[in-house]
Amino acid sequence: MDFKFLVDTFFVALSGVPTALIITIISLLIALPLGFLLALTRINQIPVLQRFAQVYVSFIRGTPVIVQIFIVYSSVPLFLTSIFEKYHIDKNVYDINPIWYAFIVFSINTTAIMIEIFRSAISTVSKGQLEAAYSVGLTNVQALRRIIIPQVLVTALPNICTATVNLIKATSLGYAMSLQEITLRAKVAANVGYNYVEAYIDIFLVYLILCSLVEYLFKRYEKRLSKYKIAHA
Amino acid sequence: MEKYFNASYIWESFPMLLPYVKVTFLVAGLSVLFGTLLGFILAAMKIGNNKVARKIANAYITALRCTPSIVLLFLVYYGLPALAENFGLLLDNVDKLFFIVITFSLQFAAAMAEVIRSAYQSIDKGQFEAAVSVGLSNFQAYRRIVFPQALVVALPNFGNSLLELIKEGSLAYTIGLIDVMGKASLIIDGRFNAHALETYIALSVIYWVISIVIEQVFFKLEKIFSKGKQVIKTT
Repeated sequence: MDFKFLVDTFFVALSGVPTALIITIISLLIALPLGFLLALTRINQIPVLQRFAQVYVSFIRGTPVIVQIFIVYSSVPLFLTSIFEKYHIDKNVYDINPIWYAFIVFSINTTAIMIEIFRSAISTVSKGQLEAAYSVGLTNVQALRRIIIPQVLVTALPNICTATVNLIKATSLGYAMSLQEITLRAKVAANVGYNYVEAYIDIFLVYLILCSLVEYLFKRYEKRLSKYKIAHA
Repeated sequence: MEKYFNASYIWESFPMLLPYVKVTFLVAGLSVLFGTLLGFILAAMKIGNNKVARKIANAYITALRCTPSIVLLFLVYYGLPALAENFGLLLDNVDKLFFIVITFSLQFAAAMAEVIRSAYQSIDKGQFEAAVSVGLSNFQAYRRIVFPQALVVALPNFGNSLLELIKEGSLAYTIGLIDVMGKASLIIDGRFNAHALETYIALSVIYWVISIVIEQVFFKLEKIFSKGKQVIKTT
């Protein structure tokens, strides 16, 4: 065991944390509202969209993330090349920063998971809440924003926390798109002297700290939100 | 676009990939077996009264939940031989499958510990007490009263964990296991990286079908096992 390497590489791995976090945050920012809207289409049974959401969720949850990454990573350049050729845009698709592919993959993936989370969370809020909100004169948007969403968030939060942790873990697969995140940085550092054991211990520690921190923050937020919780009679 | 994408490659990939579904299931089956055993031990540690055991189980579950499968896989693949070397064991010639099964058993155990614990705790204590009071032995009470009820509660979560396991198992290709995923990358290498998309589409369809079938099986199982379920009104 090379302890100097262990300590040095820890900071190399740590330098990949911003990349992992940016991908996580952007994906969540896209997935949370989109997942909520698509969950609403399933609750309200809007014909075409509902079916689409169902197949979409089933496919994303039924296939490994790594396969989804490979599909996006090999299909998007094809589309772009044909578009660039058609409109004579002089740009090489291979110059695109892989982080854009990561945004696409992880947003698509997380949206599907959010649909499921919100669907089950919305169904826990009783219909009377919405009816009561209408009866006191709130509009559709007001009722959603002031009555339904706060309650939905309380029930959905533990699942959103799990989804976020899973998302952070999934960014480790960014190596397949040669994305400079935690895993790849430490692995490259290890390639020089074959110190793989030390490198993977570092990666393990970084993810452990990162995910524990995220879980802790969610727990605290959960406590703050719990004032919206309905006491069950 | 047409010169890059050719749908006939999707059809061509299926017969090449399907025989390797066996390997995927082998990895999943062995991991479920060992993972569930370890999961039972962890759940027992969590439920039991020993404070140290509970701390260890909790720490284990948290650590495993926070580790990406790929990191754990490489940690086991590189770390275990290095660790064994200290004890004079050489693991250089051990089959890759060994490391893969260990990795996913460790991971599955963490998930199962939570599944088993929540299922066990969902059963009212009165059930066990009532069973003992009518003269059943402890073992009989667990086997005939608590276990069948806990099984129904655990089944959907077990199904979800199994699906996760099969999906995460695809990462075994990174250390050179030839399962469906590994075969797909071999096919792509064989085509000199052309038509990768078609191969991955075929691969995703295989995984999708496996997931849907497992989902349906567990849905049916849940119905069968909850046949005798009587809901106890607590309020």
